[in-house]
Amino acid sequence: MNTAPASRAKSARPRIIRYQSVIKRYGAFQALSGVDLDVHAGEVVCLIGPSGSGKSTLLRCTNGLETIDGGGIEFEGAQLPRDERALRAMRQRMGMVFQSFELFPHLTALENVAEGPRTVLGNSRAEADERAAAMLAKVGLADKASNHPAALSGGQQQRVAIARALAMEPDVMLFDEPTSALDPETIGEVLNVMKALAEEGMTMVVVTHEMTFARRVGDWVAVFDVGRIVEQGPPQQIFDAPTTERTRDFLSHLGWSG
Amino acid sequence: MSFDWSVVWQHRDALAAATMTTILLTIATMAIAVPCGIVVAVVRLYAWKPVAALATAYVELFRNLPLILVVYWAFYVLPILTDTGLSPLATGLAALALNVTAYNAETFRAGINSIRRGQLDAAMALGMSRVQALRRVVLPQALRRILPVLASTWVSLFKDTSLVSVIAVTELAYVAMQIRAQTFRVLEMLTAMAVIYWLLGYPQAKLVDWMQRRFAVAE
Repeated sequence: MNTAPASRAKSARPRIIRYQSVIKRYGAFQALSGVDLDVHAGEVVCLIGPSGSGKSTLLRCTNGLETIDGGGIEFEGAQLPRDERALRAMRQRMGMVFQSFELFPHLTALENVAEGPRTVLGNSRAEADERAAAMLAKVGLADKASNHPAALSGGQQQRVAIARALAMEPDVMLFDEPTSALDPETIGEVLNVMKALAEEGMTMVVVTHEMTFARRVGDWVAVFDVGRIVEQGPPQQIFDAPTTERTRDFLSHLGWSG
Repeated sequence: MSFDWSVVWQHRDALAAATMTTILLTIATMAIAVPCGIVVAVVRLYAWKPVAALATAYVELFRNLPLILVVYWAFYVLPILTDTGLSPLATGLAALALNVTAYNAETFRAGINSIRRGQLDAAMALGMSRVQALRRVVLPQALRRILPVLASTWVSLFKDTSLVSVIAVTELAYVAMQIRAQTFRVLEMLTAMAVIYWLLGYPQAKLVDWMQRRFAVAE
């Protein structure tokens, strides 16, 4: 059951992403069974729920890494194209951050961040390096520019990965469990970077198990279960007064006490 | 039994020239077989099914034929196919390249497959095309990973070039055998051959070991 938006501060802003009855199957397994969700400009929308409930799948469908089997995804007013070339153009405007970082291990931190501007945007080496250096500084890693990923901690690697996505100057950032592979002591540095990004007004869709982040930084929270959104609303509603049994159940399993 | 090692020294110019041919043959074969191997591997992995099947058929054919048979086959068939008399050297080069390309294709395919899916996802998420992702992200990592295999292919090839002696390519094995036939100095010439092959092969193997350490990528 979706509940009517109680209070959605940024709902008057333009819609950046609209998911309409999105269906995704892997063979006989239905990963998404009709997901409806809007993301407005400047919003931080957090997708929470148990593992395998379809959160990451929805994120991967958003930039076309996976193709949907039904329904539609609108990005900035246009349906996600099927055509490979058009899809690439749209992908450039969405930054993605992966659970396992996926930095390019053969490149330095600076080269990782400069790779998109250079290869995709066609920047000169000097331009791309300058932009990359600025992005590394933004995530607090200016001094690690010449390190290879293997010489960085998990938290540092994920911050480089965020800088890499930001270097493309995306309109929206997609985070796929960005802190799930991190040691507890480095989770904070990544969440702080994300929080700063949110405060700058970046539109963000965040799949996360960090309930405190969803509670404090999220503008809108969607609770997933078996390929559906069982409840969505502002964090106050989801965490303090959930309207569905399934949400209460999920949060109590996490030991969330409000 | 007496030995006469002076026979080696007397024929030093011929041996040196033949050694140079062996080296050039190895370099030329790899210069063809590395890029062609990449192309065949990429076609096998990503091309339209029927085209990929052709690449697979090519690999399986040449990987499972004795090289010496391919050399003979090239010697007799290539002139018919091309309607021109290729030199023995060009024929030998073609046979070696056909064989080594098939091996390299398998090596590259394994290397590309060993790079985890997420790397391709990350490259695509930046907006790269599949070709860009392969060229900039997947292949550079795959290449580093398979360097030891390419290296041992290289060293094998260096020795296997001796097989083209059967079609009278004037490389080291052929020339040494010619000298042996003229002078009847069998053991001397075989030993000289062994020493030359080993002295050249060993540093190559070591060089490759060094390259492997130098370009290793830590994950």
